[in-house]
Amino acid sequence: MTHGSSEQNDVPEKPVIITINGRPCRAGKGETVLAVAIREGIPVPHLCHEESLAPYGACRLCLVEAGKPGKTEMTTACTLKAADGLEVITDTPQIVKHRSILFELYLAEAPKSEVIKEMAARYGVTKTRFLKKMETDDPLSEKCVLCGLCVRVCNEIMGAGAINFINRGPYTVVNTPFLEPSADCYGCGACVKVCPTHAVVMEEAGSERVMRSWSGTRVPLAACSCCGMYYAPRELAARTLAALDPHLDQDLAGLCPACRGKRIAEREILARQGGAGNHA
Amino acid sequence: MDSHVLDTLIARYEAEEGRLLGILSEIQEQEGYIPHDLLLMLSEKLGIRLSRLYSLVTFYSFFSLQPIGEHVITVCMGTACHVKGAEAVLAALEQHLGIEAGATQDGKFSVTTKDNQFTVTIARCFGACSIAPVLSVDGNLFGYATPENLPAILAGYGWREHAD
Repeated sequence: MTHGSSEQNDVPEKPVIITINGRPCRAGKGETVLAVAIREGIPVPHLCHEESLAPYGACRLCLVEAGKPGKTEMTTACTLKAADGLEVITDTPQIVKHRSILFELYLAEAPKSEVIKEMAARYGVTKTRFLKKMETDDPLSEKCVLCGLCVRVCNEIMGAGAINFINRGPYTVVNTPFLEPSADCYGCGACVKVCPTHAVVMEEAGSERVMRSWSGTRVPLAACSCCGMYYAPRELAARTLAALDPHLDQDLAGLCPACRGKRIAEREILARQGGAGNHA
Repeated sequence: MDSHVLDTLIARYEAEEGRLLGILSEIQEQEGYIPHDLLLMLSEKLGIRLSRLYSLVTFYSFFSLQPIGEHVITVCMGTACHVKGAEAVLAALEQHLGIEAGATQDGKFSVTTKDNQFTVTIARCFGACSIAPVLSVDGNLFGYATPENLPAILAGYGWREHAD
């Protein structure tokens, strides 16, 4: 995955130093400028960045000016690999101008998103000159910016592939095929978790989890065999248990995390008491 | 198209790379559209998620998820045709066929008459600007189209006035 990792294995890696807004920052090999900036607490707006996924460069918000003095270019920090001596400026007047237009576009595309509104307001953008997207009954609550994180996490990480982009151009949406409840959805909620604008919604309804944004897909939940609380999608829990190596003890499987912790603690205490008893 | 026919269709594609669009376009050409159950079957046979196939099919305007009519009329809405009055031609066509053209839910411009005789779509340019406005019926080009000469063109494809 890392480029050229085989070369110079015995030589200790030279630290890569990059400068962000005049501040020298140490960077790991192959690390992106955005990752360094996030770690250093330097604010660079971004929507489509997700640590567990490869850089994508979809949202364009993390535009920075980078290069050597006198020879810089504007590029996205999330796709820019840190190289020794790289100088990065995160907010030149030109970048601010571009970013402001991007915010205007996002305000039009996702008019209901508070996240976008807050981000834009930090750049003084509170209004948009573009036509706002108006959709009644939008399953993504008029907050989706089509960054693709939910699609990628569902396909690349979970391997479920329940959702994807549908249509093209201004009609593009993310949803399940035929806008019908999906049989491929595990109900894991990873899409909800990664959505930068909180557009994806799901809710628990008794023994089921309802993926409201994904055509109302319903996923049965597993109940804890001890307290009866619904704690995870049934199929997902079974798959996870089957994949564990070493296997979870039979009496721990089927318990919710809280009850499992309690059962393990009880066992520990019993074992210690038993142990102490033996020594006495 | 049944499961067996689909198998032989798939078998004609040796390389996994790039066969998807080939298979889908053959289904589109043979069936006139991409039936729901065929897409499901294809997903199972190729081991490709339905969401991926649906994404592809809705992306390309070449594919249709609805059955298309016996005759496909494509009205050019390119710049030259637009200037020469393509909009009036389209409006007249809608009136003659008793349909209301407009973007469908998936953003594709395609409307089919109730009797399944005609499907109306639009195109951006046929490259036949010298005879604008242009429309094509089943691939045959008709230049200098006007609302007035439309009935004559349509009549050649079994259309009758007031034939509801």
